[in-house]
Amino acid sequence: MLGAALNIKLLEMCSKCGACYSICPSCVNLPGYDPREVIQDIVAGDWEKWLLSKSIWQCLECHYCLEMCYQHYGFENAMTAMRAVATKRGIFPVQVKRGWEMFAKTGKLGEPAMPARKKMNLPAPAASGGEELKKIYALLKEKRRGQG
Amino acid sequence: MKDFAVFWGCTIQARFPFLEKSTRMVLDAFKLPHRDVDGFTCCPEKSLVNNVDHAAFVLTAARNVALVDGMGLDIVSPCTGCVSNLATVKGELKANPVERTAVNGLLKAAGKEFKGNAKLTHLVPFFHDSVGVFAIKQRIKKDFSGMRLAVHYGCHMMRPSHALRNDDPLDPKKFDNLLAALGAVSLQHPTKLQCCGQGLDRVDQHDNALHMARVKLKELKSLGADGLVLCCPSCFLQFDNNQFLMEKEGEKFGIPIIYFTELLGLALGYTAEELGMNSHRVDVEPFLEKWKRSPLVAGSGTIDEALNAVVAF
Repeated sequence: MLGAALNIKLLEMCSKCGACYSICPSCVNLPGYDPREVIQDIVAGDWEKWLLSKSIWQCLECHYCLEMCYQHYGFENAMTAMRAVATKRGIFPVQVKRGWEMFAKTGKLGEPAMPARKKMNLPAPAASGGEELKKIYALLKEKRRGQG
Repeated sequence: MKDFAVFWGCTIQARFPFLEKSTRMVLDAFKLPHRDVDGFTCCPEKSLVNNVDHAAFVLTAARNVALVDGMGLDIVSPCTGCVSNLATVKGELKANPVERTAVNGLLKAAGKEFKGNAKLTHLVPFFHDSVGVFAIKQRIKKDFSGMRLAVHYGCHMMRPSHALRNDDPLDPKKFDNLLAALGAVSLQHPTKLQCCGQGLDRVDQHDNALHMARVKLKELKSLGADGLVLCCPSCFLQFDNNQFLMEKEGEKFGIPIIYFTELLGLALGYTAEELGMNSHRVDVEPFLEKWKRSPLVAGSGTIDEALNAVVAF
């Protein structure tokens, strides 16, 4: 499941490098956060235990590791893949679940604040494309079901 | 200049309409050919959507780009996350014809096609590259000489660089150049490029988000910064709202947070009230007071003067 989303050969090198470690904002500021441990376990095929860990949600997706990486890969990719597996199994931080549900329902993460707009004399907000997006997303899901 | 659609994104319109206000004011002040477009959705936000369904992430961004592709417009956004997410997908689809064909197969049902022609730019590099520091200097009524301001780029203004290609991802210059054009000293500080940490608030780790905000605000306080300038609603939420929450608990930093459009708007002669700065949660008065007391220095009136005053970079 994880192997399909990741390049394990690159991660093997990644687990021995750490060029990004000292620049990763979470590594620097959050005690106990070290994606190299997660990556070593991914390479060893022993990653299930990380799915329930809050560590995999501490990657801020700032892309700094990607820029520092000699392979332009970065441990961000490993963390994204872990989170994708976790969410498929229904393991979400509450806010991610809430955010996803709002997105799925409206195509947005929040609606324009109308009273404040009026007070500030802002023009009416442009129409949302949420309904159209929902229709093509339904087509995508249908296509997936067809591919089984 | 090609007409462009402003991609407001969800956060600015839902939580910070005053940032929309100041953005509109500076776009109008320079008579830039902007317009609102019906039919956009969330960009979509990477950490909430991409982590759950990558195909939905790609399809949503592709649809937003296809919308302006069909109108022959570019996109400019005052949100770093929106530009970065849209550009990431645009790059992915341009490099992957198989995926592009599959996405276009779905978009066809909505009468749209992703071509990837639209240029996607964040407001800061847009002002730097398309308006230019000379044009800005000429319009300044009162600059920020003597003010010690820190710039916070926000990760997604220039990263991932393979998709955005608008500044050096490890040593960006454009925001600093704009600050210099506005007469301020851009403070160099160790956490200048460090992620704000707001993402932690979106994954139920509020204490860690506060910790990340605290690290930066403490540093700025010790350096005697008059304010923190940024141009990303997520970073704004982190440093304005979370600073306010910490102040309520007795931790006082006193660092006013200034959106780039507000700083530019003030320099052009708009009042803080017109720009909606009274809607901030952290008091901006100390910043405004110091600025009011500083001597009047207007922008350079002629191109020659502007050229002589330009900072080497």
